[in-house]
Amino acid sequence: MNTNLKISNVTKIYPGCVANDNVSLEFNSGKIYALLGENGAGKSTLVKILSGVIIPDEGEIYLNKNNLKLNSPLDAKKNDIGMVFQHFNLFETLSVFENLIIDSDEQRESLREKIDSIMKKYNFSIDLDIPVLNLSAGQKQKVEIIRCLIRNPKVLIMDEPTSVLTEQETSELFLSLKKFSEEGILIIYITHKLKEVMQLCDEVAVMRRGKLVSVSEIKNENIESLANKMVGQNLKTIKKKKAKTSSDQLIKITNLNFTSEDPFETNLMDINFSVNRGECLGIAGISGNGQSELFQVLSGEIISDKNCIEFNNNYIGDLNPQERREYLMAFSPEDRLEQAAIPQMKIFENVALNNFKSSNFFNNGLINENKIKEHSKKIISDFNVNTDNIELKSQFLSGGNLQKLIIGRELITSPDLLICFNPTWGLDVGAINYIHETLIKINEQNKSIILISTDTDELLKLSDKISVIHKGKLSKIMNAEEVTSEKLGILMGGAN
Amino acid sequence: MIIDINFIGLIIASIMASAVPLILASCGELITERSGVLNLGVEGMMIIGAISGFALMTVTGSLIIAIFGAMLAGVLISSIFAFLTQTLITNHVATGLALTIFGIGISAMIGKNFVGIPGKEFPILFESLKDTIPLIGPILFGHSIVFYFAFALPFMTNYFLKKTKIGLIVRAVGDSPVSASNQGIKVRLVRYLCILYGGAMSGLAGAYLSMIYTPQWIENMTGGRGWIALALVVFSTWNPIKILIGAMIFGGLTIIQFHMQAIGVRIPVQFLTALPYIVTIIVLVVISRDSRKIRLSTPSSLGKSFHKDN
Repeated sequence: MNTNLKISNVTKIYPGCVANDNVSLEFNSGKIYALLGENGAGKSTLVKILSGVIIPDEGEIYLNKNNLKLNSPLDAKKNDIGMVFQHFNLFETLSVFENLIIDSDEQRESLREKIDSIMKKYNFSIDLDIPVLNLSAGQKQKVEIIRCLIRNPKVLIMDEPTSVLTEQETSELFLSLKKFSEEGILIIYITHKLKEVMQLCDEVAVMRRGKLVSVSEIKNENIESLANKMVGQNLKTIKKKKAKTSSDQLIKITNLNFTSEDPFETNLMDINFSVNRGECLGIAGISGNGQSELFQVLSGEIISDKNCIEFNNNYIGDLNPQERREYLMAFSPEDRLEQAAIPQMKIFENVALNNFKSSNFFNNGLINENKIKEHSKKIISDFNVNTDNIELKSQFLSGGNLQKLIIGRELITSPDLLICFNPTWGLDVGAINYIHETLIKINEQNKSIILISTDTDELLKLSDKISVIHKGKLSKIMNAEEVTSEKLGILMGGAN
Repeated sequence: MIIDINFIGLIIASIMASAVPLILASCGELITERSGVLNLGVEGMMIIGAISGFALMTVTGSLIIAIFGAMLAGVLISSIFAFLTQTLITNHVATGLALTIFGIGISAMIGKNFVGIPGKEFPILFESLKDTIPLIGPILFGHSIVFYFAFALPFMTNYFLKKTKIGLIVRAVGDSPVSASNQGIKVRLVRYLCILYGGAMSGLAGAYLSMIYTPQWIENMTGGRGWIALALVVFSTWNPIKILIGAMIFGGLTIIQFHMQAIGVRIPVQFLTALPYIVTIIVLVVISRDSRKIRLSTPSSLGKSFHKDN
């Protein structure tokens, strides 16, 4: 049976922002729809309205011509709308089966049979009796999908489903979604990743600042056209000029080893590399191959042998991050809200945390608030952070703005070396572009970057030299022009 | 010295009797905490139960009214906590502490008129069977209905949490209120009910103290048992069966150290009095030291307020 879902004139207003401005859309089963937009474009609000989590101020939703009143997630479920949230809605300490039975009215045995048949049909293999916290992100997502499938949904909504998945898991997911679509489930796929839209979807609706900008078929679009619609302006394609070959060595790592006591961490083995002034060294790899350990060793969160790290002719391997900052190193860790900034603290307080010697942030143990605020305002305007309220708690900044703030905080001291780890993870196109431009600018100022990233495109765009980390070992360092993404892929898989 | 085998039976029975209020209050608090709510008001709810039970018994003369009245009093005082923490989103710790202070104060005020009044005899069950089996007889028979209920409660609680749908919902709410809410579970309602249930069990524990264990009203008669009950919940890692073990060890050492003091063992009294607290905690820490199991049974959202619109 065909399913027709119609959103008609939906508006949702929050104090100070119109999240959805008179949005009307129509979907039919048999196709996979993409809902595309930057962070904060209103796509998440729209799908939360469809799943009953948020109640719209105005507008109607029709499923097969029936007007739906979705006042709670329960109503959406009853009307056969299934939703897989970006942040999983699972109970970590309960077993997989308990997670699935909790919103089902079926008996244990019949439910178990049903789950088994679903898993068999779509080639999922998950142990139903282990607690969810032991599952990988991909498996957790499958549990969420099974939870929806149990109810034989007419509509399945996926909110940014690939942000936590590996490449392998992503392609598995796409196969499953195509299968669901063939079976008549209407699929709405929310993302800001253009590649995925091109790969998976049949039609695409683009949202920007709460408004629906365009609806079109994928075959009439390409990545550039979608990116422009999404951002609302023609994006400059950034290209890095080839760096002047400098032979002035800035940092040199010799025979660095790190053995962890935690079985879930990766040991680093015999790391050797050097970076010259004005150069960007990219370190590629599949996540979990020692990147976070390498970052911690380089930033001083993990102390190593004094002689392992030579920076500007000083041996600094045994210094902590604060002391390394005095030597003009700067760091941008992967997890913006846990490692780089303290979510509950205000913007200017977070700025004060990077208390470099010349800052005068503190006088005789007292906080020099005016100085810090002045400094924070400079960062906000220099680095295009989209807020004018430095009293805002940093958890309320979007990922892009927070990353700009962090990079700004690090760069305003004009360091010689910036070490960053997945700086554009989870950001939208506009913010990614801005961060990339900034990083290129740093190199142009004859300063250096170590860029640890899992995004191959990013590495190829920004690096002068590239190496691949696999199981705690670095491959040989290659010139970026000689490298292709295929070659990197092979090295990331562990081949020589 | 000849030790009468029935005497040992009586000692064990008295140990079990002293464990009863701990088991009742802990099992109640366990349900509250499993739903993610940390109610530090157990001591206050217990003492309200104790004075309400005793007062109702004296005034009405009905034991049934007194027991259920004490439970109702526990429900009422915990409903203050529930309203504050769930509807007005106040801090759990501060509100719970306030509840205890409030309970102790108000019970002393009401209790003024009841000091020195003798209690009533509470009916005991299976008294005739007490002497039929040596050792076992005095342990199993001749106790109040509340006693039997208390020893069944940990097993019922375990069954409830592990095997029933509602138990699963309680655990789910404690694990992640946001996910539960997105699944259409009424988080606030579940938490309200769990708090009120905890209040009822604390009230019953208090009534047991003032009506059955030492049938009279003494100011501050719970004497910190509410805090021990709270500690048992945490150190048992939210496991009702371990609560039973912990309560028995605590009760046992309390009774034994009394006897040791009476015999005149040459150990400082302060040490003997402290012994039950120390040993109970050590034993519970040792039997629950598996960090994986702790992670699995600790309610992740414990003590955190839940706002619906986030």
